Amino acid sequence: MSLAAGPGRGHVAHGQLPGELRLVVDKHVAYIQSLDTRRDELEYHLTEHLRIGGIYWGLTALHLLGHPDALPRDGLLAYVLSCLHDDGGFGAAPGHDAHILYTGYSVQILTMIDGFDALEEKMAGGKHKVATFIANLQQPDGRFAGDQWGETDTRFLFSAFYTLSLLGYMPHQRPSEPPMIDVQAATAYIKACHNSDGGFGVAPGAESHSGQVFTCVGALSVAGELDSYLGEEGKDRLGAWLSERQLASGGLNGRPEKLVDVCYSWWVGSSLAMIDRLHWIDQAKLTTFILQCQDPDQGGIADRPEDMVDVFHTVFGIAGLSLVGYPGIGEVDPA
Amino acid sequence: MQSHGIPRVAATTLDKSEQARNKERKQIIQYQALERDVVDRVKAKDYSDTTFQLTSQLLTQNPEYYTIWNYRRLILQHVFARELAADEEPSEQDSAAAEKANLPPAQHEVLLLIKEDLQFLIPLLKQYPKCYWIWNHRSWLLGTATKHLPAHSAVTLWQAELGLVSKMLGLDSRNFHGWGYRREVVLAIERLSSNGDGEKGSRTGNMVESEFAYTTKMIQSNLSNFSAWHYRSQLIPLLLSSRNADTEIRREFLDAEFELITRALYTDPYDQSLWFYHQYLMATLNPANVQALPVLEPCGRVQHARYLEREIGSVREMLEGAEDCKYIYQALLEYSGRYLEVEAEGGKVEVGEMRGWLRELRGIDPLREGRWRDLERKMGL
Ligand SMILES: [Zn+2]
Repeated sequence: MSLAAGPGRGHVAHGQLPGELRLVVDKHVAYIQSLDTRRDELEYHLTEHLRIGGIYWGLTALHLLGHPDALPRDGLLAYVLSCLHDDGGFGAAPGHDAHILYTGYSVQILTMIDGFDALEEKMAGGKHKVATFIANLQQPDGRFAGDQWGETDTRFLFSAFYTLSLLGYMPHQRPSEPPMIDVQAATAYIKACHNSDGGFGVAPGAESHSGQVFTCVGALSVAGELDSYLGEEGKDRLGAWLSERQLASGGLNGRPEKLVDVCYSWWVGSSLAMIDRLHWIDQAKLTTFILQCQDPDQGGIADRPEDMVDVFHTVFGIAGLSLVGYPGIGEVDPA
Repeated sequence: MQSHGIPRVAATTLDKSEQARNKERKQIIQYQALERDVVDRVKAKDYSDTTFQLTSQLLTQNPEYYTIWNYRRLILQHVFARELAADEEPSEQDSAAAEKANLPPAQHEVLLLIKEDLQFLIPLLKQYPKCYWIWNHRSWLLGTATKHLPAHSAVTLWQAELGLVSKMLGLDSRNFHGWGYRREVVLAIERLSSNGDGEKGSRTGNMVESEFAYTTKMIQSNLSNFSAWHYRSQLIPLLLSSRNADTEIRREFLDAEFELITRALYTDPYDQSLWFYHQYLMATLNPANVQALPVLEPCGRVQHARYLEREIGSVREMLEGAEDCKYIYQALLEYSGRYLEVEAEGGKVEVGEMRGWLRELRGIDPLREGRWRDLERKMGL
């Protein structure tokens, strides 16, 4: 059981007027279910490195759409556990090397399908092993590497925080045990990535980027430091930068002067929600933009209207709709 | 990440002919055979040149396959360790070349291998400029060179990277990976040329002048480059300290930057990136914004107020002919709000005028109505 995460087979929408725009829930569910049946395409094989990501995105979308059981649990569980390495890390697909991002996705999937008992059955002390894999990737300056090869990125830091948090191994969740990671060093690193325009970059000195804003704000939020660190001034400044991401089409971009893209509905939207400034953008217009990016016939959501759909933009489009309270979609935790 | 900007085509046009499907099936079989071959060889610790060439083949077809990049590094690590541990006599020709490069033969061999791999990456980078793993591998190669080779040799490699990254940024002046890599390259060159006493991660600043000039060049070729303006803002504190700038020089410097950005804003007040830079310059005067290091030292309250007055005046003049430009009203409101905080008497700003700006802004920018409502309340307008 696995899902293709490359561009989908698409269809051109004909004559859907804005007034008729609605979320085609059944089509999206069917689209996600169909992703496992594309093994006859070269693309399916070339995107094997996106397999665990694809399952995580597809499953999250199904949960939000109210169809959590649309994919067979046993198949998902077997697949995820087949990506587990002896050191507690997960790869992107069976046989692929362990990496912090795919370990994070795997733990998210296990959480959604209630799979931690199965993890323990496969590997005694499994949860602790996974947590140790993550903790060992922390560098002396607080950052996290993605894997043994040492590349660091604020995305990895956020991934480490939420994964440990899901596993119950963040230091504040175990006050009586010696901490597995140095939270203070990690948040100090995030603060060094904070720019005077209010946003956050991928490393100290790097320009602000919505994706990095999401990971940094998310990490500060998991660490419980978001409100005390930013304060109202900091939230205003960050909120101003984020709200300027919305363009006339209603969609959001990732950086100044870039094109709008559905995936930023989530990165920007949830960051705004975490700092209580979601009302600083036009949520109705954002909703319309996301709905326009749907393939109304075959299901799935694309980065922009008329583009190829994929499961990544499908989940972030639906999560964006959930943030703004679109009827019939489950609630999403902004972090 | 994922598919971006790929036009959706009707499903019917994707219905492939039997011939096309056969062809695709064949491609899949070939791809999987190549993949199997590479994986089996690496699992069997076959770190031969053949295996290495096979990883090249596979990565050229699929540069996102991160595990194969890891395998490539395993092979290289193995080869480097073997070269550096070898005590066999090099050929006369090899020794001569090594001598010319001022390196022991084993290290010279490592240098050549690294250069070859850097070369392999160039067409891939050009084809996939946003692929994390290619930039990653490049950075690993340079890091490894720094570890195994003497500074004089490693620094030459890093300097060549500066040329490469300039070329990449010439092709796409906003490439995120490119700007990040540029920072890494500059740090490495500064560290390697500072007799090794530079602390890891610290900046000696000996490239700050040329980097600052680079941002000037980038901005001149295209004003609307948020990345270049941002980089410029990051260099300013370093530049001033490397120039040992005194109070007077700092003030002149700041004024020149204000003049530059004001001229640019007159050219295009609708350009967001220019306003971010103006905002940055103003933030350096604001002790409440700890993310912007002060340019003026010392910068007192009175000086802050004088700058606010001057800039409010200059921004107000930009309104003429650009009455529909929301950024002007945003700047006027932001700077006026701050002005009223530092200068209790107000003087140059009237609340009535601020209300008018806010009204205009709400008319032009209804998307952010919630923000303007909060601003109204916060400023008591
Ligand atoms: Zn996207």
